[in-house]
Amino acid sequence: MTSLTTDQESLEAVLKDEIIRMYQEVADQPESTFHFYHGREAAEMFGYAAEWLDRAPSGAVASFAGVGNPHERSNLRPGETVLDLGSGAGLDALIASLQVGPAGRVIGVDLNPAMCVKAQAHATTTGTRMECRQGPMEEIPLPDASVDVLISNGVINLSFRKRRVIQEIFRVLREGGRISVTDIVSAKQLSQSIVNDPKLWAS
Amino acid sequence: MFRLLEESGFTRVRSAVVPGFRFRKQSTQDAAEAYGVKAVMMTALKPRSG
Repeated sequence: MTSLTTDQESLEAVLKDEIIRMYQEVADQPESTFHFYHGREAAEMFGYAAEWLDRAPSGAVASFAGVGNPHERSNLRPGETVLDLGSGAGLDALIASLQVGPAGRVIGVDLNPAMCVKAQAHATTTGTRMECRQGPMEEIPLPDASVDVLISNGVINLSFRKRRVIQEIFRVLREGGRISVTDIVSAKQLSQSIVNDPKLWAS
Repeated sequence: MFRLLEESGFTRVRSAVVPGFRFRKQSTQDAAEAYGVKAVMMTALKPRSG
């Protein structure tokens, strides 16, 4: 049992490093080709409004690595507090900020502190309000019942401890709060060779 | 994830496939299809107590 736990912890640590490396690469070298679509091409594929993409900093758009459009059903209203779990370079958080307006609040959480710095720089460039906190999605660095709406895009699937992540989301949401998440799911159990390959898991 | 949301106390859990999602690299897309991998949109509500 202890050995199994140790193995999983060790794999999780490797995975964490690979996730940071891969998405840092997307942010630093958005002109590169990855095996997933990214940047404006991906955002347009998922129906992001051209108006949003035109208003957002080019770096935030170019680094976009989502798998869908969580704004489609988020129904954000002015004044709401929004959490973008796995905010990356900040595109989804910035779009949320435009919707909740100056009376609202948008908080990004990302595993990678460098991505938080990048996202906040993008927010400053556009004069939008967004704060980013570094932390793992399994331990969201926010108090209980502090969020009206959670959005997330292609991130929860990266966790080995999805139940824990969902429990954390439940904890930080206020009663009556809602989620709008786009993510990757699998109908079949992934083979051990995929689970044990950080590069495949991280993608 | 749908089940995890319900088990964690969320209500009105809904999901729909994200149309148009695919991997750029064909070999990755083929592997994804073999495992039934797809992108989904999920919405849910944290109920009010009482």
